[in-house]
Amino acid sequence: MSSTTAQSGLARARRGLAPGGPGGGSLDHPGNVNRKSKLSSQTRRTFFWLLLPSIVLLILINGYPLIYAGVQATHDGSLIDTGNFVGVDNFATVLSSPAFWKAAQFTLWFTIVGVFGSWLVGLGLALLLRTKIPAGGTFKVLLLLPWVVPIVVSSTAWNWLVATPDSLIPSIFRNLGLGTPLFLADPHLAAVMVMVFKVWVSFPFMMMMISAALASVDTTVYEAASMDGASKWQQFTQITLPMIARSTYISWILMTIFCVNDFPTIYLLTGGGPVDATTSLVVLAYRSVFQDFQTGTGVAIAFLMTLTLVLVSVFLYRQIRKSSVE
Amino acid sequence: MSAVLHAHPESGPALGVAGPEKSRRVLSEAGMQGRWWRFVLILAITAIVLVPIMVTVVLALTPGPNSTATGLTLENITGVFSKTLAGTWLTNSLITTLSTVIVSVAVAAPAGYVLSRGRSKAVSGYSLLLFVMQSLPIITSVVPLFILFAGLGLVDNLLGLIIIYVGSTMTVATWMMAAYFDSIPVSLEEASWIDGCSVFGSFTKVVLRNSLPGILSTAIFAFLLAWNDYLVAIVFLRSNEIFTLPVGVQSFFQQNLTDWSGVMALAVVMMLPPIIVFATLNKYFSVGGIGGSLAGR
Repeated sequence: MSSTTAQSGLARARRGLAPGGPGGGSLDHPGNVNRKSKLSSQTRRTFFWLLLPSIVLLILINGYPLIYAGVQATHDGSLIDTGNFVGVDNFATVLSSPAFWKAAQFTLWFTIVGVFGSWLVGLGLALLLRTKIPAGGTFKVLLLLPWVVPIVVSSTAWNWLVATPDSLIPSIFRNLGLGTPLFLADPHLAAVMVMVFKVWVSFPFMMMMISAALASVDTTVYEAASMDGASKWQQFTQITLPMIARSTYISWILMTIFCVNDFPTIYLLTGGGPVDATTSLVVLAYRSVFQDFQTGTGVAIAFLMTLTLVLVSVFLYRQIRKSSVE
Repeated sequence: MSAVLHAHPESGPALGVAGPEKSRRVLSEAGMQGRWWRFVLILAITAIVLVPIMVTVVLALTPGPNSTATGLTLENITGVFSKTLAGTWLTNSLITTLSTVIVSVAVAAPAGYVLSRGRSKAVSGYSLLLFVMQSLPIITSVVPLFILFAGLGLVDNLLGLIIIYVGSTMTVATWMMAAYFDSIPVSLEEASWIDGCSVFGSFTKVVLRNSLPGILSTAIFAFLLAWNDYLVAIVFLRSNEIFTLPVGVQSFFQQNLTDWSGVMALAVVMMLPPIIVFATLNKYFSVGGIGGSLAGR
């Protein structure tokens, strides 16, 4: 590499690297007209070495366990023993158990409320913070705190606020003559509580995504629209929403993944209870493996979840790519 | 949502098109009023949203039932350091998190560079693979890794934790780096190639040197993920003196359900580092980059 002359460096630039990334700037070398030109072998080699650590780690920490999980899902082993091959028995057990479907249903609701709840709150605050407000920047940072503070900490604080009949929020309800709601003891209320907690934790992420998208919207479009007599609502639905559509889809996908895979938000607030009312698939899988020592079933649950998520995410990934190529 | 509907009609730019001098003044007065009205609204929302965090801080600083102190006190916080292993847990968390951040960025930066500059089927295939891997629930890999690590002596060991954290941060970290590199013009590298620089040389000397915001943004992301993790830590850590803060705080909470001043003091110790990191570096942090990198390739 060290013997590379300026000439060949330039040639390599033209042949290989110059087509560059989307933000790589416009390149006016005539040699770059063919965007599909092959990378030179030397550049390829450098790229390979730069990528190698990432590939090795991906195989060892992400790839290997996935394959091993496949093996475990077809065995009746435990944490210390692989066990015997049982074919699809674990999957049959899981798919025919009411607990699995109950958890799947809760996961679905948790995800829907988590994604759209945090999106709506995040959108509202992002739009509000886009306008001129005294100390707006300070609010923007303060509102990120629920996302920055560890779940272990915030779940403890929420527990203090709602867990027992004598906690602060139930006391306020009682003093207002609204009875004493048992936020974490009543199955329905506990489910609602977990979702509210998830929205509280996640809306800052949505707010950041939407704020970033809004920052790139050209404000003169609104002036033109209002000259043409478009109402504020029309401007919102026909200018703002389409302008942030792409990052909205992306944020929905990411949040769907975050919600389906979420463990601490649920486990630390309710432990999955009362009477399994807030047991999501991840909590169910965790319990099967580490409390009931049914590794095979636990991994089978995780595997079914994984399969669904992979299919959904590959599909959505293609959709985004399609929409961004336009 | 009502915030959206109310706030939006008053939003800025349209006011600027007012014609004659007089109506402009009237409008800007309305604008000023709107500003203060929105200020009160956002103040109220922020206050409500921050109740759980304020509660934590206030309880941590309020003297406990057996205390003689009056007013606000730091004795709860000094207390948890003497009666629990909080100091050890804090050190463990710092070691784990900082190692994760450093390794994660060191792996993600070169990989992100290839994702940004390489345009081949293999590279975009790898990008898709990263996306699929990051969407996998960590619970799937926790069990196999537990069995693997048990054989290697990495259970109840901070190194084991670091390895898993690096694995789970490197995917998104790679995209974030790639998104940042996309914003650096290739012409900078071209100039260095003309000067005889190799591809690797231009990556380290030109691209990385101009990527501090991107690196910091990725580092903050990895920091938050590693610092806040609970699931991996409770599975892999067994003994008190190896605990990181999340497990330590949780175990203390479960053993001392009524000692709220102690619990909240620990909670404050745990939330301070991420808040400090975020407060000082927040201008560099943008999750927009995650989305951009996802759509860009």
